[in-house]
Amino acid sequence: MSGVLRSEWTKLRTTSGTAWLLLGLVVATIGIGWLATAVTTCTHSDCFLDPTQLSLTGVQLGQIVVAVLAVMLFGNEYSTGLIRLTLAATPRRWTVLAAKALVLTGPVLLAAGVAVAGSVVAGRQYQSVPFRLTPVLGTVIYLALIALFSLGLAAIVRSAAVAIGIVLGLCYAYPLLAAATGDPAWVRRLLQIGPTTAGQNIMSTVDPETLAHAPWNGLGVLALWTAGTLLTAAVLLHRRDA
Amino acid sequence: MTDKMIEVNGLRKRFGGHLALDGMTFGVHSGRITGFVGPNGAGKSTTMRVILGLDRAESGTALVGGVPYRSLKRPLTHVGSLLDAGALQPSRTARDHLLWLAHSQGLGRNRVEEVLEQAGLSAVARRRAGGFSLGMRQRLGIAAALLGDPWALLLDEPFNGMDPEGIVWMRGFLRSLAGQGRAVLVSSHLMGELQGTADHVVIVGRGRVIADSSVAGLLARASSGLVSLRTSSPEAAAVLTGAGASVREAEDGTLTVTGLTAEQIVSALSARGIPFAEVSAHRATLEQAYMDLTRDAVEFRAAEVSR
Repeated sequence: MSGVLRSEWTKLRTTSGTAWLLLGLVVATIGIGWLATAVTTCTHSDCFLDPTQLSLTGVQLGQIVVAVLAVMLFGNEYSTGLIRLTLAATPRRWTVLAAKALVLTGPVLLAAGVAVAGSVVAGRQYQSVPFRLTPVLGTVIYLALIALFSLGLAAIVRSAAVAIGIVLGLCYAYPLLAAATGDPAWVRRLLQIGPTTAGQNIMSTVDPETLAHAPWNGLGVLALWTAGTLLTAAVLLHRRDA
Repeated sequence: MTDKMIEVNGLRKRFGGHLALDGMTFGVHSGRITGFVGPNGAGKSTTMRVILGLDRAESGTALVGGVPYRSLKRPLTHVGSLLDAGALQPSRTARDHLLWLAHSQGLGRNRVEEVLEQAGLSAVARRRAGGFSLGMRQRLGIAAALLGDPWALLLDEPFNGMDPEGIVWMRGFLRSLAGQGRAVLVSSHLMGELQGTADHVVIVGRGRVIADSSVAGLLARASSGLVSLRTSSPEAAAVLTGAGASVREAEDGTLTVTGLTAEQIVSALSARGIPFAEVSAHRATLEQAYMDLTRDAVEFRAAEVSR
């Protein structure tokens, strides 16, 4: 396993896009969060505003950068045919998936940590964003889970483009579709089961009653999706012809 | 090197409705180059993928050194392979490409430098593999196959895209690998590429083995009783047929005759005063031997379809 881990680390390290995408995650997340806090004002007395969530607006874009990085790990191998060499070198295929997951998680946690902490700090320039552990830590974990979910998805569909399409759909189209059902009970139910919509509850610091999930529960739903996806990926990787 | 071998036994595999492997059975012995030849779609690549544990066969076994490939701990130290020279991340350098592969087998940088040297790639080790010509990619693929110093090598169409100089290099290289006692399986859809390279050939068509023979044996069989000659006379063919031979006529006036010895042909034509030249007992090329064998397979196939 240690050899496979080292091997996957070398691959990630020598992929030209890796460093840029991690930098992109930090810049996009902080930049958009800062912009959102700068342009949003609350003048009405009954104004509903969650400064923490507002400062983390950039995560909406940052999660796609993370997903792109993650799907590349498998997507590139399938598009070039490199996967056959990888699996010929490591016939215990689940170790390849595990190693990719591990080497992906480290850098993503690090970059997401900088991005999320930076967003909160930047947001304090215009809003009274409190320093709270739950949304900061939780959002970092959220981004890591999105990365792992995307990784598993890419291994299942064996295409970076298809995988990123699904992630984009879940991030942007799914909440709209859920809202379009009209019926509040259904909207709530759909927001509760969607991996991204459930997971994003972790960014909220206001009244949990208004949320689809309590913050950590929502993240738990995403974690379940991620575990299920990785497990499915492992089984398919083992059973399918390379 | 010990006398390990690759054994393929009764492999059967279907892709959709298409039978890709239909009882494929042969062995690859150490110390010699085994050519694996057949038209495109004959099942060569599929067989190699099954041997490497990449594809699963519906039935039959493929063993390397007596065990299934997928049970090997550091497989590249047993079997090196080159399936597709284009399977590279274009932005990665040649050295880095070999480095991740080395790490996966618990091997280090030294080994990478050694195989780069062996494949003649040291000078371009820092260049991105995406910029390599197909010939250079083949060399990189060979370097990757050699990383683990394996006792067996499986190479799928390694001559593809190589310039003449590269082909000469590859032939010599493969010969030296077999000379070190390794078992080398080289696939090709062009029999001519293997002439002077392979010691043994396994000829396949439609997912099964058509011939499994030493090259010398194959040539001897294909050469037997063939005589060619040149003549400008239109009667020559009729005369020889009358004398009991069967004759193939080419447009440039070359006749290929079977059923008569060169001596008998000369006397038959001389008796009628027919001019001729360049009578020679024919030595078949591997290409012709292959064509003869696969022609039979094609005819058999046509008969099967029309039935």
